[in-house]
This record gives sequence, structure tokens and C-alpha cells, in this order.
Amino acid sequence: MNIFARLPGSPRDRRPLGVAFPRAVSATRGIARLINSVVSNYLFRKVLKAAFTIFFVTSLTFFIIRLMPANPVDVYIQEMIAQYGMAYDEARNQAAALLAIDLSAPMYQQYFDYLGNLLHGNLGTSYRSKGTPAASIIVKFLPWTIFSVGVSLLISFTLGVVLGMLMAYWRESPLDHVLSAFASIMSSVPNYLVAMMLVVFLGVQWKLLPITAMRGSMSPGIQPGLSLHFVGDIFFHAALPIATYVLTTIGGWMLLMKSSTISTLEEDYVTVARARGLSDRRITTAYVGRNAALPLFTQLTISVGFIVGGSVLIESIFVYQGVGLLLINSINARDYPVMQGVFLVIATAVVLANLLADLLYSRLDPRIRITGGE
Amino acid sequence: MEGHKGGLRPPNQVIKGGFAPLTPRGADTTLSVQDLWVEYRTRRGTVKAVRGVSLDLCRGEALALIGESGSGKTTLGLSLIRLIPRSARIRAGRVIYRRDGQEYDVLSLGSEDLRQFRWKECAMVFQSALNALNPVLKVWDQVYDTASAHRQAYAHRTRQRALDLLRLVQLDPERVLRSYPHELSGGMRQRVLLAMSLLLDPQVLILDEPTTALDVLTQRAIIDVLRRLRKELEFSLILISHDLSLAAELADRVATMYAGAIVEIGDVYETFYRPRHPYTLGLLRAVPTVTGQMRDLASIPGCPPDLVNMPSGCKFHPRCPYADSRCQEEELELAQVGRGHAAACFHWQQVQYELEAREGA
Repeated sequence: MNIFARLPGSPRDRRPLGVAFPRAVSATRGIARLINSVVSNYLFRKVLKAAFTIFFVTSLTFFIIRLMPANPVDVYIQEMIAQYGMAYDEARNQAAALLAIDLSAPMYQQYFDYLGNLLHGNLGTSYRSKGTPAASIIVKFLPWTIFSVGVSLLISFTLGVVLGMLMAYWRESPLDHVLSAFASIMSSVPNYLVAMMLVVFLGVQWKLLPITAMRGSMSPGIQPGLSLHFVGDIFFHAALPIATYVLTTIGGWMLLMKSSTISTLEEDYVTVARARGLSDRRITTAYVGRNAALPLFTQLTISVGFIVGGSVLIESIFVYQGVGLLLINSINARDYPVMQGVFLVIATAVVLANLLADLLYSRLDPRIRITGGE
Repeated sequence: MEGHKGGLRPPNQVIKGGFAPLTPRGADTTLSVQDLWVEYRTRRGTVKAVRGVSLDLCRGEALALIGESGSGKTTLGLSLIRLIPRSARIRAGRVIYRRDGQEYDVLSLGSEDLRQFRWKECAMVFQSALNALNPVLKVWDQVYDTASAHRQAYAHRTRQRALDLLRLVQLDPERVLRSYPHELSGGMRQRVLLAMSLLLDPQVLILDEPTTALDVLTQRAIIDVLRRLRKELEFSLILISHDLSLAAELADRVATMYAGAIVEIGDVYETFYRPRHPYTLGLLRAVPTVTGQMRDLASIPGCPPDLVNMPSGCKFHPRCPYADSRCQEEELELAQVGRGHAAACFHWQQVQYELEAREGA
């Protein structure tokens, strides 16, 4: 495009713009402007960034899990020898027949094969459950994690926000001191420790809960459906994981909400709302609560992603059939496709949660809409 | 506890112009504050922010409270609608509000009555209007909140009234109602708040520094709007300001506050042209005029008193050029110094003499 390269001051430069650019050029400029507006679109940029993050994490996990010591075949052979006392050669033959995987292809080729399959929505087939697509295994386990984590997040967020506001309104009262102590202790104890204590005390020592019956995500033989029986049963099985998640996350929400509420209470608009004679209820919900909870929504969506990943230990302690348990099992068996699938799900959950946080925040806070909409 | 109750005591010095009641133009007071004491409890001790203030506000009158920052003006204003911070307490006093021949003691209203009293009877526009509106609600929602909190939940009528008021304060009413606060400029928000304060047709309007943080042209606009509104809507106004020119433009009467007490009160011309308290005189001398000479300006030496450990006697004596040993021991109450004009100073005649001498020169 030598039009742009032309030196300033040359006679043609002094032509009016409309004459200087022929029609074809202005058409390309129109398209360029269109592309430009799409590219600079807030949502578009965010989605693009999210897609790139997922791609990056997927690639990273692909190589990292292959750096783990022992491959699926080795692990299988070891298992056979340990469990059935097979000879090494016999075990290797069986492994070759059963697993039917070729790990001798160069790494980059495996990687591009994997990416190619992924683009077609194919996560590959499990090494262990022969012929079963990894996706269908994950789909079987994922709802339980979403259910238990979702319910506990909902409980812990709502309860935490309410308790946090109570603490802020009654700060320096005995209630505040008790709740603050509880919140700081609970938010600093690791969740697997709480899970183990629940098992040890409630289940084993004091025998308050039928801990063996509570294992799994539902009782055998029960028909899934919207019956009271079924719903009661899945809550019975999810009770301990949910209790663990709630206990270990609620403290954080309480403390966050408390400090956020205290600073919101100092805001002029709250004083003015009082001067305007608004009812306490209206002030607490629409003026204090809504503004104080704003920063917490970002945290909420982000923590959704992390809890899916953090469910690994909890689900194996309670033998709850969610993706966390699936991940542990597939790691132990070096079932690469399933592992990659689960990591993909976790990465996607975190990224989507962040994306959702951005979008939700701009819905909730009108001030963001302006700057973000550019 | 010192402080006088109700009417004036006979002045300690020669009376000029005969005795006139502190509330000019006869009775008909809307709000009457009687010996009000407000304290803040802090780590350092008790801050006496308002010390025995008494004043009457007549129907339709504009009273300006002037004084330095920290002289208790805002605390006094907040006490009138009982919106003082948690650390503050009203120690003593009465605030009597009158409407339609009925008297109400504001300080003993129940919480529901107090809620109704606020804004509907007595509205207050705060110093920092920039942050006075809830950022997540549109202006209209906040207007409607205000109306429905006072059982006037007729959306259509409220809307009509809001549109009228916004037009009165020279805003584009439809657009403003649809906006979020952050979409409005500082001056616009101030005017929105002003319009909102008149939504329920209150009898008393308290304006706390309504024009600080605004540029001169917006200030001008707001002053004009206020004058017009007062003519049209006939509410009483308490104007809290350290801007003396604003007070001169809007107020009928002026009260000077120093260290939590009223040290001079009187008609606006009387007070500004014939100040009798050295502090008021000092404030007036510290105001620059556009055409005046810089050498005429004089600031008051020293700084406002520490409200925890206050000086003995007259609280102004450490900074006062007229102070003598009597000022260090005894604090004088307001006493008649002219028609409808009272000051709390032993040396008011000396102030008068010097002023007259200067004018004569």
C-alpha cells in the first residue's frame, strides 16, 4: 500500500479525502472497521482470552501427565504381578492385548492427534475401560460433583453473606466475637482434615451417622427421577461432602462480607438513605447488602472453578462418585485420556467461572458497564 | 450545666435599641432547639461537639450557620434529624418541631415516627453529594424509594413531582431519572439531591455545605435555584456553610458557631455589617473579595480549640485580640447587642467602637 508510504507534502496528498481514496479502498476500510469493532468488543475479547487459556492448560497437562513416572502399561503390569502373581512376560502380553495402546509414536504426533480429536469433540477412549469413550465416563461422574459443590456453594455463600452482615451490624458484640473466631478458625483448616474428622468422630467414634451406608453418590437400586425418595437419597449421600465444603468455605465468606459491609455502612449514600427515611429493611438489602456483596460475586464465581478441582481429596475420603474420585482413580491407573478429560473439565470450569464473574459483575455494577462496554 | 433555657437574659451591658426577642417577626417557629448538648466518645476523651445550643427557626426563614471546620455545625445539623454517628450521643436538650399547631419533640420520637419525620418534615442535603446516591440504583428508583418509604407510593404522581422538581433545578428531567448516579456530573448530582430533598414538600430543609466542591458557575446556578425554590415552595432553611458569601446571599439570619456554641446570632445585614463578636469579625476579615485589596485580608491567628481539652472561660480567648483576664475565667452567654442581634462577648462594644472608627476613617 504505497498510498500510506507516500511522503508528506507531495501534491497528491493535498487532495480531499473522498477523492484520494477510490471506492474499493473505502470498502476495505469499512470491513476493517467492522473487524476492528468485533475485535475490540468486550465480550469477544474475553471469550478469545478464555479459549486461549483453555488451550494452553490443555496442552500443558498433556505433556505434564506424560512426564509422570510409569506409563499405563507399566502400571497395569505392576498391578497384575502384585494382584495375581503373574510372571512379567505374561502380564506384559495381557497388557498389550487388553490396553491395545501404542505409546511409541513421537510425543508431538500424539499431541496433534489429541488436539485433532479434541476439535471434533472426542476426548479419546479410556485405556482401562476398554472401548468406553472418556467423555461418557466423565459425564457419568460430573453431575455428582456439580450437584454437591453447587449446593454447598449456594448454602455457604448465602449463609456466609447473612452472617457476615449480622457481624457487621452488631460489631464488637459477643455475637460478632464468637462468629469471628469461628470464621477465622474454619477458613484456615484444610478441608480434607475436616472431612476426616467428620468420618472419624461422627461416623466411627460416636457412631452418630451410618457412615458405610452414606458412601457413594446414591443407594444401589434406586431409580433416578424427580421423586422425593430419590432426592432424599442423593442428599443423604451428599450430606458429608456438602457439610465439609460448607464448613470450610463459609468462614471466608463471613469475613469478606463483614469487612465489605462495614465499609459500605460508612458510605454517604447509606447515611443519606437513612436521612431519606427509608425503612431499615430497604436500606439493608438494596443499599448496604447489594453494594457490600458486589465484590463477593467475583470471588464466588472464581471459587466455583477451584472447588471442582479441590473436590479430589474430599470425594475420595467419602468415596463420593464425582470427578474428583474419578481423577484419583485415573491417575493411579495412568489412564491418560480420562485424566486429560478431567483436567480439561476443571480448567474449563475455572475459566468459564472467571468469564462469568466478569459478565455478571458488569450486570450487577452499572459503573462497570460503561468502562467495560468500550 | 450552664446554658440558658428559652428566652434571653438581660444583657450585662448597656442595651442598645431596646429588647427584641431572638426570633424576629413574632412567633410561628417551625423548629426550636433548646439547650442542645452533643458529645462524641473517643479514645482521647469526650469531644463536646455541641454545647448548649438554643435557636429558633421561623416558618419560611433561612438561617445560616457559619464557622470554621470542626465548630460543630454539621453535628448540630445531624442532631436535628437524629442522624449522628454511633459514637455520638445527645446528652441534653430538646428539639421541638411544630406543624399545624401540633408540637413534636424530635429527640423522643419513636423509630417509626422518626423515620417519617426524616425527609418528609425535615430533609437534609449533605456535604458530599458526589457519593450521596446509591451507585447501583437508577435515580428514578431512588426517588421512588423515598416516596414509597413515606407511604406515597403513587408512581405516577411521584414521577410527575420529580419531573417538576428536576426541571426547577434546571436538569433534563427524563434523562436524569433514567440515569445511574455515575452518569451524572458532580453539580448534577448535587441538584438531583436538592430536587429529591423537596420531593415530599418538607417544612425544613437543612443544607450542609451545598456548594463546596463545585465550580463557581455551578455554585451560582445552585444559589439561584435555591432562591427560586424558596420563593415558590416556602420552606424554612438551615444553611450550614463556611462560605460567607453564600450565607449573605441566601440567609435571613446568621449564627456564628465556635467550639460547639453559638457565639453570635442576628439578622444577616446586622451581623455582617455590624459584627459584635471578635470571631465573626475575624471570619469576615478573612474573606477575600475579587476587587478588594489583599492587605485588607487578615486570618485569625491560632487554630480552632481542641474540643476534648477546651480552654477555660471564653473558648475564643487564646485567639482573641480583645481577651483579658476575665475572658480566661468566665464564659459569657449570648446577650443582646442590638435589634434581634445577640453576641457572647464581654468586649462587644470595643469591637463596635473599632469598626465605627475604621468606617469613619
